[in-house]
Amino acid sequence: MNYAVLLVPDFALRALQRSDPSLAGRAVALVAGEGRTARVTEASAEARGVAPGLAATLAMSRCPGIVLRQREPESEVEAHRLLLAAAFTLSPRVESTGSGSCTVDLRGADRTRTEALMRLRAAELAASGLPPRIGAGATPLLAAYAARCAEPVLVVDDAAEFLKPLPLSFAAPAPGQEAILRGWGIMTLGGLTALSKAEVGARMGSEGVLLWERAAGETNRVLRLVEPARSFAAQWAYEPPVESTEPLLFKMRRFAERIALELRGAGMVAEKLSLTLLLEDETDHRREFRLPEPGADVEGWLRVLGGHLATVRTEARVTGVRLVAAPARPPEMQEGLFDTGLRDGASFWENLARVAAIVGDDRVGTPELLDTHRPDAFVMRRPLESVTPRLAEPVHPACGPTLRRFRPPWPVEVSCEGGMPARLEGGRLEGRVRAALGPWRASGDWWKPENWEQETWQVELSGGGIYQIARSAGAWRVEGMLD
Amino acid sequence: MAYVELHARSAFSFLRAGSLPESLVREAGRLGMAALGLCDRDGVYGAVRLHMSGKEAGVRALVGSELTMEDGSVVPVLVATRAGYQALCGLLTTVHLRAEKGEGRVGWAELAEAHHGLVALTGDLEGPVRGAWHAGGARAAEEAGERLLRIFGREHLYVEIQRHRVPGEERENTFLVDWARARGLPILATNGVLHAAPEDGGVVDVFTCLRHHTTLDAAGRRLSLNRERHLKGAPEMEALFADLPEAVLNTERLAGRIEFTLSNLGYRFPDHPVPAGESQDSFLRKMTLFGAQQRYGSVVGNVRRQIERELALIAKLGFSGYFLIVWDLCSFARERGSLVQGRGSAANSAVCYALGITAVDPIESKLLFERFLSEGRTDWPDIDLDLPSGERREELIQEVYRRYGRRGAAMTANVITYRGRSTIREVGKVFGFPDDALDRFSSLYHGGDLPQTIKLGEQLRMAGVPDSHPRLLALLDTCRRVKGLPRHLGQHSGGMVLSAGNLSEFVPLENARMPGRSVLQWDKNDIEDMGMLKVDLLGLGMMAALQDAVEICARRGRPVDLARLPKDDPAVFRMLQEADTIGIFQVESRAQMSTLPRMKPETFYDLAVEVAIIRPGPIQGDAVNPYLKRRSGEEPVTYPDERARPILERTLGVVLFQEQILRLAMELGGFTAAEADELRRAIGFTRSQERLDRMKARLELAFRANGVSEPAIAYLVKSLASFALYGFPESHAISFALIAYASAWLKVHHPGAFYASLLNCQPMGFYSPASLIQDGRRHGVSFLPVCVQASDAKSRVDGDTTVRLGLESVRGVRRQAVASLLQARGERPFASLGDFLRRVDLGAAERRALAGAGALNALAGHRRSALWTVEAFHGQDDLFRDTDPAAEGELSPLERMTLLERLHADYTHLSLTAGAHPMRLARPLLEGVSTAAGLRDVPAGARVRICGSVITRQRPGTAKGFCFITLEDETGLANAIVRPRLFEEARLVINLEPALLITGRLQNEKGVIHIMAEEISGMPELGLPEQSSHDFR
Repeated sequence: MNYAVLLVPDFALRALQRSDPSLAGRAVALVAGEGRTARVTEASAEARGVAPGLAATLAMSRCPGIVLRQREPESEVEAHRLLLAAAFTLSPRVESTGSGSCTVDLRGADRTRTEALMRLRAAELAASGLPPRIGAGATPLLAAYAARCAEPVLVVDDAAEFLKPLPLSFAAPAPGQEAILRGWGIMTLGGLTALSKAEVGARMGSEGVLLWERAAGETNRVLRLVEPARSFAAQWAYEPPVESTEPLLFKMRRFAERIALELRGAGMVAEKLSLTLLLEDETDHRREFRLPEPGADVEGWLRVLGGHLATVRTEARVTGVRLVAAPARPPEMQEGLFDTGLRDGASFWENLARVAAIVGDDRVGTPELLDTHRPDAFVMRRPLESVTPRLAEPVHPACGPTLRRFRPPWPVEVSCEGGMPARLEGGRLEGRVRAALGPWRASGDWWKPENWEQETWQVELSGGGIYQIARSAGAWRVEGMLD
Repeated sequence: MAYVELHARSAFSFLRAGSLPESLVREAGRLGMAALGLCDRDGVYGAVRLHMSGKEAGVRALVGSELTMEDGSVVPVLVATRAGYQALCGLLTTVHLRAEKGEGRVGWAELAEAHHGLVALTGDLEGPVRGAWHAGGARAAEEAGERLLRIFGREHLYVEIQRHRVPGEERENTFLVDWARARGLPILATNGVLHAAPEDGGVVDVFTCLRHHTTLDAAGRRLSLNRERHLKGAPEMEALFADLPEAVLNTERLAGRIEFTLSNLGYRFPDHPVPAGESQDSFLRKMTLFGAQQRYGSVVGNVRRQIERELALIAKLGFSGYFLIVWDLCSFARERGSLVQGRGSAANSAVCYALGITAVDPIESKLLFERFLSEGRTDWPDIDLDLPSGERREELIQEVYRRYGRRGAAMTANVITYRGRSTIREVGKVFGFPDDALDRFSSLYHGGDLPQTIKLGEQLRMAGVPDSHPRLLALLDTCRRVKGLPRHLGQHSGGMVLSAGNLSEFVPLENARMPGRSVLQWDKNDIEDMGMLKVDLLGLGMMAALQDAVEICARRGRPVDLARLPKDDPAVFRMLQEADTIGIFQVESRAQMSTLPRMKPETFYDLAVEVAIIRPGPIQGDAVNPYLKRRSGEEPVTYPDERARPILERTLGVVLFQEQILRLAMELGGFTAAEADELRRAIGFTRSQERLDRMKARLELAFRANGVSEPAIAYLVKSLASFALYGFPESHAISFALIAYASAWLKVHHPGAFYASLLNCQPMGFYSPASLIQDGRRHGVSFLPVCVQASDAKSRVDGDTTVRLGLESVRGVRRQAVASLLQARGERPFASLGDFLRRVDLGAAERRALAGAGALNALAGHRRSALWTVEAFHGQDDLFRDTDPAAEGELSPLERMTLLERLHADYTHLSLTAGAHPMRLARPLLEGVSTAAGLRDVPAGARVRICGSVITRQRPGTAKGFCFITLEDETGLANAIVRPRLFEEARLVINLEPALLITGRLQNEKGVIHIMAEEISGMPELGLPEQSSHDFR
């Protein structure tokens, strides 16, 4: 038992279910591909009659009410970190083999203790919504095969007997190889190894020989080890933002389970927790909790965090959450040597955000015209960090009077004669129209409920002054003055 | 002051404008416009529609086009004279024929050569002058204008001024007016029209998005700024151009200057070359009388009278050359050993019969000549030729090109319009609806534009778009407006247009998608409206199969002459009566098979009726049941009017054929031959319901005036309306019945040749090769597997009832590889698998396909052994090629395939199996499920379960939402009917599952058995190979 493999079947689906409580107990399938080419890649046990490879549309017909979702990379990253954390509790030599799979070098470990530890971790991971299969064997390959058959732990001692009935797909044949072997009626690793390696090589070349060796479990390799976690933090972005504390508590539990395992793998405990709620208005809510007793006790942490979340009220919806655990034995480092004068390099942006909080988001930044015909439609963007090159001189430079816009425009009553503005009344501007130019018409967004239409005139008042007025949604406004 | 819009674009500018020409004309008429100039992009695609609708609305249709120039600018030109029109068509043809579709650009030098008779406008934003003004300023614009001026001169160039109430446009207009005045050029007000009415503006925006492959949300300023580019009347334009009245005045002046309209197209059909001393008429007469003598023995009495009458009329109408040309094409086809047969109304003509164009004797069949040709007829009569589909038909098409030149003949266009499901999908994307909803919508409404029993909004709701969706109403409204607008131009299935001289002088030609073919810019209705002649060279899969079967029989020393088949073969009619008609032309559909046991055809004419009766026309006209009941004596034969008896006697008082409607109009309504011809055109003209309604009203009045009773009038007018939904002329039904009879006769007497020929001519017909083989097995035909030692390229008959499948049946094996295999085998048989592999140049995939299909069994023993051995062969250049892999094959360590494995391999490599039906293997798993054959023993009303591969799903428009499913098992076919409600519930299962288990009540009406479905589920657990099914309306 030199190696162990921790493997989570249907990992992407498990990770998604683990991250979204609304999927619990429902028929769910992950699909890949677009449109009619979309195929199921993983399906939950509840999704009866639905198997990987099935067209998404057929899945809908076979399992009414099935929830079809695309993969969620963020959930997978979080779940994979939990798996790695569990692996590091078995041995410090761990390879992140693939999404939902890691290989542990157990050489030198005590077999009895390790087997018990594997069973314990399997139970913990299952409780955390990530039921693993853990296999152990003489080589990483054998351990991987064992993991695929484990329920939940399997240690392989007699490799030859174990391999014989395994399906051919265990050896990961290329599609071309698989087609050839299917034609030959070869469905198991034993079926393939029953053929002469040389004859297979003569027909399928060196790739065929490698496949044969994988089928025989003869392949060995060196693990590419990864470092254990150095920081003990977790973060999640909500799309759409959340308003209640339930999803936050659910996520806190997931974070805590993983961070606690990571701490344990590193032989550390947390002395302080730092919770940040990122809010929709781009502000955040931060709180630090010095734990009464440093430790890696998930339930204890959740009591502290839950107690706070039950009382917290925020001005805006929560778009993200971050949890950081400060380890009790911090790594030794020289503090302050590389500090800059600015403790917070982003203070400019923070200040800007504070200003925005006071005057409103839409009033801070650099104005940028929108690609629409809607008059005066612009949006405030973050100021650019570099200066944009000057645009080429326009072929027809602007000429004529300049429009000095009133912000906001002035409401006005306009009486018309013969379809043209004749008099302006009310508000800040009054007078008879001496001359009128227009109308210019614009309309857009007709496909949306908020479609718009505008008629614009330039009028000269008898008392002097040229103004631009516009009618939209039945109301007139003075948009500005022409100098 | 009057105003004429001279720069309008229609939806035939493809994704650049949003209204049909007819809508533009309607709006122009409403606005009191005397004329309208249509300048579609790079073509005159909509000109005929504009012309014809303009004639009806009293709006003069002026022809023009926007020309995309080599520098990307767009010059609008209007056609002033016929010479100008010819030059424009020639120019567009040159440009389109030398470029990929839609990529043609006009060279400035070419325009300079072809400008005579054209009037140019300076154009709008894309025009050379305004484009240059924007890009390079006043000087650049002046230079662009000077170039136009050099080409067209002062008399033929107008400076176009547009006002769309857009800020800044006056600056540009000021420049244009100043420049025009400085150069002494007239200014012309246009509105650069893109849609008929303001509310159609959204369609233009949607088209803009489709053109730019974007959505409405992302299109930004590419969308219209406002909806001002619609047709505007004189008062509005006068007000807009109050400061430039001459700009409006000039529109009327220019329209008055334009003398050309499509009324004086000048089209002429080519003459047929005749021997010296002969005229077209005399030569036709000579050939007709000669042919008649061959057909009839002697040309006397009725025959003589009819032929003389027809010849006189043909000569009078100037159609002799046309008949000679069609005769010559038929002769050409026959000389090359190809079957050819005229269809449609040509079969009403004794001259066509004498010339060998048609195979039906109209005198014996008492067919109405006036349906084909009449005194008052101004358009060309239809002569459609059915040819074997494939190479033989293409040979004839290429012969026409050879004779008349690439600019003298072209295929008719087929305008593909936005319809149903595809419209929702495309427009929905533009509206930003999520892909998954659109995908679900497409899956729900799978299988083409199935007529739906629920409204579009409801369909979308089922696809996951809620009623409350903020864009739903706009989407539905836009889809309604987009429906029926042209999407792109396709190619008609076989209509070729010929002309004396260059056809490209009458209509621009373009490259068709198929290499070696050109297509003109008008569709068949346009062609007919313009009085141009179209010869339909139609490919029929069954003609190809008949040809193949005849050749197979001849090779086997049992020649068959299809022209001399006895028309009263009892065995043939027995088979038809039993609805044993899989593979038989025209009567193999589920609907036909349900009617045959009730119809019980006994004569050839009965078969013609059977062919005609299951069509949307008679079904909608409620003709089917009365006819069948009268035939079986359940209902007395009555006539709507006693005077109708001689006309309707053969069809038991029921109107089944178009000829009957025409004769009734003449006999009971007093219509002249010319009026009857107008009626015929109204029935056949699918574009205008108004035209048909007018004819209906006229006919009603005529019947009433002639004392026809009101119930009879109601019945006859309903029959007329239903024929507009597609009914057959009697002559056409008889022509098709000839082919149907021939195919049935072959199925009875030469079943081997029949099935082999059907397999060789795929794709064709309703049923897949797999179903045809199962049907053949039920008829005692055995099918031998593909074998490299024994098979030919095509399927072949060995012995009367044995068919050897052809090598071309194996998927993934190139024709060239098959040819090389046969050549090698022709030199000497293959001694071993090694010998085969060394001598035949095949790719690895082809070797595997042949081995997997069992085609190498004769050399390798079994499929696995072959698969093992072919992998050891690494090509002709294999260093070890001298070793014999076959020796290794004998030592193959692999097990033989099981029956189920062989079945799957068959479907993988052949899409069929020569062996038992896959359901035979599944049968032990299906307890309590009846076989198709077993249904005959189940009492009517009993609850029964059937299971099988779905081979057809049909939801015809005439069936009020019912769906008909045919399942195939190892004993035959079982039919199920699904009520609309169940269909909607199980839509996805029905549409997508390859095998179904259906539970329901058995109905047995005079031997026609159906299951009225109550429950439907898929059967994925049976693991049956997927079989192709035909899903259609």
